[in-house]
Amino acid sequence: MSATFWVWFGIAVYIAVGLGIALMARRQLGVGVSEFFLANRRVGGFVSALSYSATTYSAFMMVGLVGLTYFTGVGALGFELTYLCGMFMMVFFLPRFWLVGRKYGYVSPMELLSDRYQNRGVGATTAILALVFLVPYGAVQLMGVGYLMNGVSGGAIPVVAGIIIAVVCAIAWSSIAGLRSVAWTDAFQALIMIVTSAAVLGVVIAALGGFGAFFSKLEAASPGLLTVPTAGGSWNINMFIGLALPWLFFLISNPQVSQRLFIPKSVTAMKQMLGGFLIFGFIYTLISVLWGFGAHLLVPGLENADLATPKLLALPIIPTGLAIVVMIGITAAAISTIDSILLTLSSVWARDIHRGLINRKVSERGELRVGQWVIPIMAIIAFLFAWWVTEQPQGGLNLMIAPLSSAASAGLLMAVPTIFGAFFWKRATALGAMVSCIAGAVLVLIFQITGARPLGWWPGTWGFIVCVILFIGVSLFTRPPKDKAEEFIGYLRESLKKGNFI
Amino acid sequence: MTKSAWGWTWFGFLLALDIAIPWFVLSHVEKVSGAFLFWAIWAVVAIISVFIILLKWRGVEK
Repeated sequence: MSATFWVWFGIAVYIAVGLGIALMARRQLGVGVSEFFLANRRVGGFVSALSYSATTYSAFMMVGLVGLTYFTGVGALGFELTYLCGMFMMVFFLPRFWLVGRKYGYVSPMELLSDRYQNRGVGATTAILALVFLVPYGAVQLMGVGYLMNGVSGGAIPVVAGIIIAVVCAIAWSSIAGLRSVAWTDAFQALIMIVTSAAVLGVVIAALGGFGAFFSKLEAASPGLLTVPTAGGSWNINMFIGLALPWLFFLISNPQVSQRLFIPKSVTAMKQMLGGFLIFGFIYTLISVLWGFGAHLLVPGLENADLATPKLLALPIIPTGLAIVVMIGITAAAISTIDSILLTLSSVWARDIHRGLINRKVSERGELRVGQWVIPIMAIIAFLFAWWVTEQPQGGLNLMIAPLSSAASAGLLMAVPTIFGAFFWKRATALGAMVSCIAGAVLVLIFQITGARPLGWWPGTWGFIVCVILFIGVSLFTRPPKDKAEEFIGYLRESLKKGNFI
Repeated sequence: MTKSAWGWTWFGFLLALDIAIPWFVLSHVEKVSGAFLFWAIWAVVAIISVFIILLKWRGVEK
């Protein structure tokens, strides 16, 4: 039977198992908004850890990071591990989000901000920020799946068919049982991601004669890739900070992951979630970077970084069956990110835009219905965006994956001062939050579109500096919600002490 | 200094190392034992730091 048949077979098995898991999750689905979007804050540590991992790590790792390593070397490892080191901030933010989520019943991170700043405009502003920057990011994931399936099937599966498969899976898994189906399917997908990527790395390392020979060959063939900055000029400090800064604050700037800080059922589950994610992230990052170096040795001379993974998988040393399983693994990474984005955006729309601004008297049932309708609508918008990009004559993945991912993370970074202020600065004000988010995001967009980089600093760096200055400056000249700030931060101070959190 | 201040200081120190060592100390070491090994060990240190803090957390009632 042909490779195309086995590709379709692999996809069918993946969808069938994922669907089965999602339907099993539905059996435990209760009623209400908190149940649908947060699984009633009762998720265990193991599932939380795997779901957080699958949501965080998208197709970017096995396509983008591999390509980045292939072309620019070890700086890619530093960049991605800087994100992981940023997870140190979880020791501050995880208990804080978790505690106030339980006390005040927040469903979305934006609702937390609205309440803390006593202004629905703050939640709406950060919600719009998320809608603007996460839809293109989701579209990039869809495109990744389309191109991957197209490549592995030798062109037999059209790009748009791959995109449609990803859209349908993401809609199904986020709609069937809300966070329960997303978390359970995420856990399943995280296991596929780590096992399949490790299997390919094992084959690649074996083909190069083991770890010792692999590293020796790398040092002999491309010593310049093992230092920063590289001889070619990549990974100067400005580039590193420009890329790493948005990634460093990913854990709080991206609502699809910060919303997960509400869901662990206990302190033990929180510990397992964070600990499990750190181990998963470290292993997955090393695997991705070693893939990139392996591809550099085995398929040298590529002109397009995003082809490093497909070319590596097409090598005769990789059995066809394994290549197909890995394709499923990367597809899983993409879909597990998209379904979480869809679920979060739907909760943000329902709670912070619809209930916050449009219809304040909406019932919980009505709010949930709005959220459920938003899931396919957002998915269709992302699909149309992805489809449009792939139809562009310049080419899709090569043209869009890096700038879109970069623009999305840099744009979302603008909410970070507002989030810090909510937890740590009683003097922070709603106007400071809104002005800093809007001005920072506009600046990032202008710099991204025009390609301007004054002093060589990247858009996210400039946006963040301006955002911090405006947040502090405007807050100092406006009136803070004193009573709420005292109550919110006072409650946290007491509760943190009880739990021995820092 | 409070525990929280210690935590932020340690995190800042880790970030300072993230830039200082690869760019100013190891920038001419074109071997796996250079920036690659540094970042791997550095990340392990960061992860162990988190685990040390996590182990002290205890359950709280709502």
